[in-house]
Amino acid sequence: MSAKSEAAIVGVGATPYYYRGTSAPQTVPELIGKAVFAALADAGLTIKDVDGFAFFAYGFDPGSLIEQLGIEQLTFSHIVSGYGGGMAGVLDLASMGIETGRAKTILCIGAMQQTGRRVGQSLNMLGANPDGVFHALAGLSGPGQALALSVRRHMHLYGTRREAFGEVVMASRAAAATRETALRRKPLTLDEYMASPMLADPLCRLDFCLETDGALAFVVTSSERAADLRQRPVYIAGAAQVATRNWGRAFFWLNQPEPEFVSAGATAVAQRLYETSGIGPKDIDVALIYDHFSPLVIMQLEDYGFCKRGEGGPFVESGAIRQGGSIPVNPHGGHLSEGYVVGMTHIREAVEQLRGTAVNQVKNAKTALVTGGPAPVPMTAAILRNER
Amino acid sequence: MSARSICPDFSALEVPMDHWSEPFWRAAEEHRLLVPRCGACGTFRWPSGPFCSQCQSQNVEWLPPGQGRIYSFTVLPVRGDGEAAPPQFRIPALVVFDEAPGVRLVSSLVDAPAAAVAIDALVEVDWLAAANTTVPVFRLRGES
Repeated sequence: MSAKSEAAIVGVGATPYYYRGTSAPQTVPELIGKAVFAALADAGLTIKDVDGFAFFAYGFDPGSLIEQLGIEQLTFSHIVSGYGGGMAGVLDLASMGIETGRAKTILCIGAMQQTGRRVGQSLNMLGANPDGVFHALAGLSGPGQALALSVRRHMHLYGTRREAFGEVVMASRAAAATRETALRRKPLTLDEYMASPMLADPLCRLDFCLETDGALAFVVTSSERAADLRQRPVYIAGAAQVATRNWGRAFFWLNQPEPEFVSAGATAVAQRLYETSGIGPKDIDVALIYDHFSPLVIMQLEDYGFCKRGEGGPFVESGAIRQGGSIPVNPHGGHLSEGYVVGMTHIREAVEQLRGTAVNQVKNAKTALVTGGPAPVPMTAAILRNER
Repeated sequence: MSARSICPDFSALEVPMDHWSEPFWRAAEEHRLLVPRCGACGTFRWPSGPFCSQCQSQNVEWLPPGQGRIYSFTVLPVRGDGEAAPPQFRIPALVVFDEAPGVRLVSSLVDAPAAAVAIDALVEVDWLAAANTTVPVFRLRGES
């Protein structure tokens, strides 16, 4: 029991998840609006209750959204400066807004629509930048290609095997098999994994996550107010945003010293999250790990202290991340099998686990970790729980 | 798969430069690889920028970095022209240098047999023409 006033997630809304580009002719504001109205309905609130926005860096336009959604006034409208790395930071922002009294009902919003533009080619713009032109000389046009350099180094230093990456993907598929919202639900064998074509050796096609469209929204309010609302509150027990020089621009830099280079960049944010929340890895019942590339799950398990640096491969190969393992990871199938909306689907799964309504429910789950993606700083993460 | 990694064509590439990176490209035109080191405390920096991350000095000197070796690499499939074209591959290589700790340069490792590429393999720098300068690529030592 904590005396601290914690903010709580009281409503969740999502559009269906669509393969890349197929959410058209819906527009991004339309997808967001559908998620927002669903989240408010879930909470038993209306758009007239909303007085705050929290985003991560994606280019959403608060002015356009309040015009189109019919919001009269916001007293809090803030953006975490990280992109996929900043995703979990929206919960930190929302907590700040609630706990300082700047707003009473804050919407956390995430959306993705890849029509024309593909996240997987986001490094192409670097060719026009004096610091980034070397990526163009190398031929690194997407995050997966650049992260392959870190993954190979991890294999070199620690003996991490492709079988471990395969286990991350197979565990994801096994979870997604029963998840109706997941786009890839067919179980996968290790032979099928090993036969997948290499896209950025040692990363094969199946190590890359889905490319999808969709939007999600979460309603955050005070714990006191949450007690009177419709859903079982999910409390934001801790959230942290940390930017370190040794991680910096992540795969846009490639000059991180070791061990940061062979990490997922989350060591510092994990430490701060655990220190400020008083909750540690042993207290976490289910981990929603940002899985844009399967080896990065292994590196995050190391960063977040579920196993030691370099031992992530054998750890996952032991079955630890499966349902019933020592730390179930992504029981919704994650980005690898369910859908990719820049991590927001992981917050949804955390809420469903802590409400006790998840499709692949972790028994008696009380505490969930949500991580932002290994990407340029700030790196962010949050711990949610269903008891105060 | 063809035997060796591709050698990309950079002849149309307009290399963007600013005040702090221009000395790199001036030397590159003369096929010399130089990297920036703090003129006050001797810390190497990469990419080249206006301040030393250790002592915040703006003084900088440019030095040859010594022998390069592969720190990590990946292998990317490259589509050939047309259905019948044989599959090709490109090797982005991240290279460290014996005399410039803290500097990792990423570029293409060209004309390299995939089986010969490994972490710690020694590389030499070669230079290819771009629209406004020449650009560094790597070759395995002994393959030049």
